[in-house]
Parts: sequence; C-alpha cells; structure tokens
Amino acid sequence: MSTPTQTTPPNGSGLSRFRELWNDYLPYWFMTPMVIVMLLITIFPGAYDLYLSLVKYNLANPATIGQFNGLTNFETAFTSGGAVNSFTLTILFVAGALALETSIGFVLAALVTGVRSSWMRTFYRIAFILPMAVAPVSLATITRIMLNTEIGVIPYLIGDFTPFTAPSFLSDVPLLTIILVDTWNWTPFMFIIFYAGMSSVPETLLEASRVDGAPLWRRYLHVIIPYMKPVLFVAILIRLIDLFRTFGLVFTLTHGGPGTATELVSINIFQTGFTFVDLGGAAAVAVVYLVGIVALCNVLIIKIGFEGVWD
Amino acid sequence: MASVDAPRKPERRLSKTGRERLVSVGRHAVLLIWSFVVLFPLYWIVSMSLKPPSEAITLPPDWIFLPTVYNYIQLFQQSSFIMAFANSVFMVSASVILVLIIGVPAAYVLSRWKVPKQRDVLVWILSSRMLPPVAVVFPFFVIFRRLNLFDTRIGMIFMYVTINLSLVVWVMKAFFDGIPETLEEAAHVDGATQFQAFWKIILPAAKPGIFSVAIISFIFAWIELLFSLVLTNDTAVTVTMQVYQFIGVRQIEWGMLAAATTATILPVLLLIIAVNKYLAAGLSFGVVIKE
Repeated sequence: MSTPTQTTPPNGSGLSRFRELWNDYLPYWFMTPMVIVMLLITIFPGAYDLYLSLVKYNLANPATIGQFNGLTNFETAFTSGGAVNSFTLTILFVAGALALETSIGFVLAALVTGVRSSWMRTFYRIAFILPMAVAPVSLATITRIMLNTEIGVIPYLIGDFTPFTAPSFLSDVPLLTIILVDTWNWTPFMFIIFYAGMSSVPETLLEASRVDGAPLWRRYLHVIIPYMKPVLFVAILIRLIDLFRTFGLVFTLTHGGPGTATELVSINIFQTGFTFVDLGGAAAVAVVYLVGIVALCNVLIIKIGFEGVWD
Repeated sequence: MASVDAPRKPERRLSKTGRERLVSVGRHAVLLIWSFVVLFPLYWIVSMSLKPPSEAITLPPDWIFLPTVYNYIQLFQQSSFIMAFANSVFMVSASVILVLIIGVPAAYVLSRWKVPKQRDVLVWILSSRMLPPVAVVFPFFVIFRRLNLFDTRIGMIFMYVTINLSLVVWVMKAFFDGIPETLEEAAHVDGATQFQAFWKIILPAAKPGIFSVAIISFIFAWIELLFSLVLTNDTAVTVTMQVYQFIGVRQIEWGMLAAATTATILPVLLLIIAVNKYLAAGLSFGVVIKE
C-alpha cells in the first residue's frame, strides 16, 4: 500500500500520538465503516437466506421453526409454489423492458443530440427525465386511474378518437402493460446516460466520417456506437440489475395478478414470505434468484465489462 | 460532463436544403410525441388533484376547470399523511448524509491507494446492488425483530443506506479518479496532513459529484416501497406506504389519491430539475465523465 509520504515530527503527548495514528492509517480508517456495512448487507443476508432455506421457518407454525428441512423448501417452491412460472415471467419482463428502454432511450438521445436550438434541447432533456421522479408506487396509482376501464382517460381516448377499442390493459395484457409502464418510468435513465455519452463523441471523429461520405447508419454503426461502448455497457448493466429488483410498481399495479400472470420472482418471494409467512420457502426461492443474478452479472462484468470500461 | 451541452459546431448550420428541413420536422415530430407521452400522465394526475371531487373522474373529462386546493387540505388534515411525509423526508435525508459519510472516504481510498484485489473489491461492492431487496428483506425482518429495530426510524435509515452505498462508492471513485493527484501533492508540500488535504482540497473539488450522488441516493430511497412494507408498521411509516395504502381503501377518494401522488412526486421533481446537468455523470457510474 503506497501512501503519500508524510513526515510527522516525533512527539510524546497522547493527542499527537492519536493524530499520528489517524494520519498514518488514514486509508484503513476510511475503508473500515464501508467494509463493515458491506459485510452486513451482503454476507449476512446471503448466509441467512441460505440458513432459512434449509430449515422450517413458518411463522404460522411456530413450534417447528428452526427444524432442519433439507431441500424440501426448494422442492415445494419449484413444484407447487409457482417459482418456475415466476422465473419465466421475470425473464420475459426484464428482457422486454430492457430492450424497449435501451432502444427508445438510444433513439431519443440521438434525436435530441441533433436538435439545433439550445433551448429546445434543454426542454426535451428536462421533459424526458421527469418520469424518473415518479416513485413506482405513485406511477402505479396513476396507471390504475388512467387505465381503468370505466373511469380511465386512456381507454376513453382510444375508444373515442381511434377506430380501436381499448383492451382492458390490466386483465387482458397484464405482462405487456407492466413492461410498458416500466418503460415509461425508466427510459429516462437510459436516455440521459446515452445523451451524455453521445454528446461526448469528439466532433473530429464525426467530421471525418462525414467527409468520407458515410451514410448516417454507418456513422452510428462504425463511429458512434463503438465510441459509446463503455457507456452502453454500464447503462445496460445497471438497468439490468435494477430490473431484477422491480417490486413496488408491479406489486401495486397488479399484485402479481390476474391469477399469477405478472407474478415476478420478487412478488412470489414476497407473497410466500409475507402473506403465507413461510420464510423458509421464501428464502429458498431467494437463494436461487440471488445466485442466478450475481452469477449473470459477474459473467457480464468479468467477461465483457472490464475491458476498457473501468480501467 | 462539461461536454453534455457542448455548443454545436458552426459548420452544422450550413445550407438548409429541403431534405434537411424534412429531417428536422420529422425529428421534432417524434420528440414532441414522446414529450406528450411523458407529460400527459403527469399533467393528468396534477389536474385531477386540483379538481373538486365531483369532477375528478368524470368522462369525458373536464378539460377546463376551476382549480381548487380542496384535496390538498383534506390530505394534510390527515395526520397520518403529514407524519409519513415528515418521516420520509427525515429518514431519507439522514440516510443520504450517513451513506455519504461512509461511502465517500472509502471511494477516495479506492481511487488513490492500491487496495489489494481492487477489482474484486469493486465488484463485491456492486454486488450489494445485485441482491434483490426482496431477498434481503426477510433476513433483516428476523434480525430487526430480535434487535428491536422493527418499525424504527433508525432501522429504515440503515436499510436506505444499504440501497445506496454501492452507488455512492462507485460514482465517487470515478469522480476522485478525475481529480488530479497533483492537487494533494501541492497541499502536502504546504505541510497539510493527509486528512487536511482530503478535507480542504479534495472534497471541495469533488462537490459536483457529491451533489449529484446525494440526489440520486435521495431518489432511490424516496421511491422505495418494499422495505417500509415489511419493516414498518406505524412509527416509521413512509410516504410511499401511505400512497400504497390509499389504493387498498374500499372507497377510493380519487381527488385525495391524486393529491397524495402529486405530493410524493413533487419534491423529487424539483430536485431533478435542479440538478439535471449533473444527473448523467452520477447515474453512469463515472463512465461518461471520463471524457
């Protein structure tokens, strides 16, 4: 550990001894609280989930709490607990939302970058990031009001101003609806990062390709996108991680329903743990989910990510 | 970061051919459509909150109406909503201060010193964000009960710290990387200790980063629902929890629900508008600002 050289005159008094210790070991003092909290929030829940997943821990059945249960929790979750269904739904949800948010965010960023008038650019930029201010639970209430088949303004507008009849969004196409609502909420995240990344493409690079007479799509494919690769990667990775965390929006909007049509893994775990107070069963699904996500992200980060992104 | 709004190069303004004009019209058409998609729901919920209850959900909607603050008065006469709102403001702010105190110095070390297994440490820190909240909430539920932290503000503040710590460390490391080390060396030459150099020279230089990461942490804690759903009951209840409970009520008062939703959105909206310039730098974990 190479610390910047620092000479403190030797001194006997207690206070300056303390000061010396403080300064000489500064990096350690600075790291310690973070490391402690990190241990608490990564190792502890992981280990505890593992423990819970292997024992009986049903609050409705206090007498059996803590009894070793083998892999029964896993077996129950994946045969009758709906875990398989919820994993499939989660993958569909994450893939759909990620694809939409990435592509819409990219197109918007490209379009706004080309806007000439500076106040219009500012207007678009601020308008497009506003949805991020809306808490998922608030968004869910807005959506429930606006999509309501009887009192909702969106079915009304579709029915009155277009030749179509609005579907009953939350019961006919629930998965698509939550994807679209999440897209509304989080496309701003992609937009703002892509916009910043695109604005930092050196003008000389663009100029060169323009002089070469490269058509627009080639300019994107061979100049802009390669230059933005780290930005694209980080944005997609972070969004991917956060999509797997989605809870509030779907829980408030559909409660996982109708039936189990939108029961994402996070909802499934919540229902098992909170509604059915079976913490052991919830932990079993959580362990599988946790391992899957951490493995996926590690593969992405280590195999692809670190080359030229972070160091 | 400075390049976010880089002025367009003058040669772009050359000859406005018909084709270019067409492209420009198409561009604005798409952008205006998306503006409408974004702004309409926001307009709708705010306008609903300003309508008298009798008009709130009539169809066809009253596009023109006399705004009233009736719903807001109703809402803020409910002591539970005021308390939840104050609770959230307090707990979220406290957690942001705490997460900065813990995360910023650590990020500084990760940026300036050769920490063993640096890359693994960074990935480990990021992995705390990969843990879905729903997978960590039940272990904490059990331990909170044991430690009497259930339904306490301290407990919730801690949970908010857990959401944001990785974010703070990552973003701030990137910021410190961008501050030249010569600054500290100069301070050392002038006889400053390491801590003084950090406190008086580096921290002020990193202010924009601290600012943006504080806002982002605030947002992520503010919009959180799951932790308050599982870990609070009464005393430490949050504003998102209040909005959530509104929906459960059998006879929904639409005007008040709209007012509560608006009240939840508004503080964050103002913050976002205030810092929208720094937002990208903070959100992208430093990748964009390396330019």
